[in-house]
Amino acid sequence: MSDRKITLEFNDKVVRQFMLASLIWGAVGMVVGLLIAAQLNFWQLNFGTSWLTWSRLRPLHTNAVIFALVGNMMFAGIYYSTQRLVKARLASDFLSSLHFWGWQAIILAAAITLPLGLTRGKEYAELIWPINVAVTLIWVVFAVNFFWTLAKRREPSLYVALWFYISTIITIAVLYIVNHLSIPTSFTHSYPVFAGVQDALVQWWYGHNAVAFFLTTPILGIMYYFVPKAAERPVYSYRLSVIHFWSLVFLYIWAGPHHLLNTALPGWLQNLGMTFSLMLWAPSWGGMLNGLLTLRGAWHKLRTDPVLKFFAAAVTFYGMATFEGPLLSIKSVSALAHYTDWIIGHVHAGALGWNGFMTAGMIYWLLPRLWSKPLYSPSLANLHFWLGTVGILLYVAAMWVSGITQGLMLNATTEGGTILAYPNFLDTLNTIRPMMLMRVIGGGLYLVGWLLMAYNVWQTLRGAVPVNGSIEVFEDESGHAQPRALGLVGSFLNPPVLFSVFGVAFACGWMFGRNFISIVGLVGTMVWVVLAFAHYESRGKEWGDWYDRLLISTLPFTVLTFLAIMAGGLIQIIPTVVAHNAASTEDRKQVPYTPLELAGRDLYVRDGCYLCHSQMIRTLVPDVLRYGDYSRLGESIYDHPFQWGSKRNGPDLARVGGKYPNVWHLRHMEDPRSISVGSNMPSFAWLLTRPLDTATLVRKIAVQRTLGVPYPNWTPEQIMARVDTQAQAIAADLKTAGAYVAPDKEIIALIAYLQQLGHFEAVSPALPGATK
Amino acid sequence: MIPTPNPPLEDPVRPHTYDGIQEYDKRLPNWWLMTLYASIVFWVGYWAYYEWFRVGLTGEQQVTRELAQIETAKLASAPAVDDASLWKMSRNPVFVDAGKATFDANCVACHLASLRGKSENPVAIGPDLTDTKWTNGGKPMDIYNVINKGVLVKGMPTWGPVLGAKKISETTAYIMSKHTENEPIQLDPAAAPVPPK
Repeated sequence: MSDRKITLEFNDKVVRQFMLASLIWGAVGMVVGLLIAAQLNFWQLNFGTSWLTWSRLRPLHTNAVIFALVGNMMFAGIYYSTQRLVKARLASDFLSSLHFWGWQAIILAAAITLPLGLTRGKEYAELIWPINVAVTLIWVVFAVNFFWTLAKRREPSLYVALWFYISTIITIAVLYIVNHLSIPTSFTHSYPVFAGVQDALVQWWYGHNAVAFFLTTPILGIMYYFVPKAAERPVYSYRLSVIHFWSLVFLYIWAGPHHLLNTALPGWLQNLGMTFSLMLWAPSWGGMLNGLLTLRGAWHKLRTDPVLKFFAAAVTFYGMATFEGPLLSIKSVSALAHYTDWIIGHVHAGALGWNGFMTAGMIYWLLPRLWSKPLYSPSLANLHFWLGTVGILLYVAAMWVSGITQGLMLNATTEGGTILAYPNFLDTLNTIRPMMLMRVIGGGLYLVGWLLMAYNVWQTLRGAVPVNGSIEVFEDESGHAQPRALGLVGSFLNPPVLFSVFGVAFACGWMFGRNFISIVGLVGTMVWVVLAFAHYESRGKEWGDWYDRLLISTLPFTVLTFLAIMAGGLIQIIPTVVAHNAASTEDRKQVPYTPLELAGRDLYVRDGCYLCHSQMIRTLVPDVLRYGDYSRLGESIYDHPFQWGSKRNGPDLARVGGKYPNVWHLRHMEDPRSISVGSNMPSFAWLLTRPLDTATLVRKIAVQRTLGVPYPNWTPEQIMARVDTQAQAIAADLKTAGAYVAPDKEIIALIAYLQQLGHFEAVSPALPGATK
Repeated sequence: MIPTPNPPLEDPVRPHTYDGIQEYDKRLPNWWLMTLYASIVFWVGYWAYYEWFRVGLTGEQQVTRELAQIETAKLASAPAVDDASLWKMSRNPVFVDAGKATFDANCVACHLASLRGKSENPVAIGPDLTDTKWTNGGKPMDIYNVINKGVLVKGMPTWGPVLGAKKISETTAYIMSKHTENEPIQLDPAAAPVPPK
């Protein structure tokens, strides 16, 4: 063992960069959020421009908050804590820099392309394919930098924060790649490879777990580092860390279908989504308990220390949101709350309360440590805390009232349950307008608090000198007596892993097997659980010793995490994807779009119509009474991407085709209030003047054919001839109704698409059991 | 992982520290464990009920059954309306006022609040309901049926499932309150053309 001490300087420059980027982009994301919240009451606030319109800016808001605010904050926190937890400088200064500048370039590209209407049409996965490639590459840079740093570590054992970072890096990589698989039709446009129900399932497997592994697990890791640091107290319970980490990463993946309850998604997937969401409650609260109870003995510091105030409130909001999540996943609660503002309130409790306050606490804690100066004004930080807290409470309470009110009104029936009590959607919208205004006030207060933090940071940085942390380490620490790292056999052949793997296998046998396999699975699960408890009671020390060895073995730890997160995804997605389309049609099959309708559909996606209008009539009486017969799986099998939607700021459109004359749609797009008095839909008047771009239509149809949509082998001339014929017919019909629009305008294509919605061909029912 | 046999007053921390961070190793709270176990038991029961024994109805079965019940209830309680009763209703302010409320909430987008539609404003979508020209018949039951079933090719939506028999009768009464029983009826089938498809 060498005694020579060396001083190790950390790479804190990249931490400072990511931290300030999070602060700045966060403000941008919130300003956009405030604008679109105000637009819901004041439709004029798009100032007549397409790129300031609600449905173009909403993806910008969500992407900015998720990937820019939380993304940058996460990288700052991970890089700061990892270097200190493993006693090593970040492996590569170049990769760190590349990571930072690459990520900022991606955000900038997103901020330019989304308002222009360049989108993939899938929530939180809107960015176009060249940016997807860049995100993937930068994520690999991050992963290499992180794992390389772990490889050079002087602290053999991995602290709980690092478990969460590892799970984040590998899971996001898997989710992101699968949900972004697409075939380009041009440099700015592509079609996702999945369609209809498959696309819906993959999308919400991604969407739900982006919440889990982008907004939750990395922030839990950051909590495990910064909360005990700031409170100067030990973490409450190591064994709770172990239990809640593994149960959280394993269970989270299964819960995605709770975004699709009561839809055309096969029942077994819905039941998995609901029950696994309920099982997720306790693991989530494990994280909250470990955060809050770590503060025991430090509560008095909350009075004076803004950092601890933010952390304590953030963890409390995390607990609130993770209680609300399982609640909303109950099918009957979802029937009321889905598509309403309640969901918006739920995600903002998480985003503003948990993510935003963790960010603020971390920034206030890091600031004096990364620069040679104390915080400019702790009282401004306290003011920020109270403004933010009141802002969140106003926001969330307004959304609860709004969501529940609208849900109850939409579902209310009269005359013995045979007729809707509020047949006009606008009645429900105009009832919740005051609540939507209160949300703007709450969000505004939160933004003011954030800007106070920016001012506080600015004043602190003036004249401050950046300082990099350093520690003294022995040049060679390998001489210490250490337990041996796990090899391949030791990683898998040990009681905890074997009990877990076979337990899951038995349970799956029970859930998905038939007859004999099912019985064996049930009995096997019960026996196996008893055996596992007995073994742990008698030989628990072996389990603990094995886990201590796992913590010094990065690769086995990563592989086991990967297996834990893959189980749920594979079991849900593979059967749905490999099942032949014919098996998932039920009794109806979609008619492929004509070329003009396809062009109109791309406009529908471009202008973000899906963000306010669902195309999914649920198997619920109020939905059927309001919108027509419930949607079948087969009715969207050619939809790349699916457009089932997740929010109804306006009514469902699954069967709007043929319901109104063409001229109704024309007038409605030009000036929604001339048709629907009291509507808050923005005017889409530019559709009437812009010529339809058909340059890529031939290529688009070729790609659709590749993806399995049964188009004939048309020549380009045939395609254009079909576009012309249908466009002329619609223009002629509009003319006789007293409205003149040239047939080459975008509105003609959009009308063609809308009038086709709900058309299907009847087929004989699918093979029984095809969904299981 | 093994609890200390005789816990001292101050809880022990784990021997290893990370960057100065210590960890207790406290027992999992019982209520927390019970929550976890209860949710697992619920999952087993729920899965058995819906997927194993298939006692619980699927969403499709449930909604089909409820819709059938609604259909029965509607048939059983449908008021017997005919031209004569609708004419009577159209002279009764209770029905006319109720019909006006329904009309103002759902029909004015196309037929305008004056009911005069295209006669008042040529770009309006719906025809005039106050004159004596009718596209699909001008007797009260004709109006009732147009509202109830819709005339999709002319752009008139199907309001039956949305409004129900009572509101449709009232709306018909409101429209007929602008007419008299023995005024002439001119049928004008050459109004709006049929849209494509």
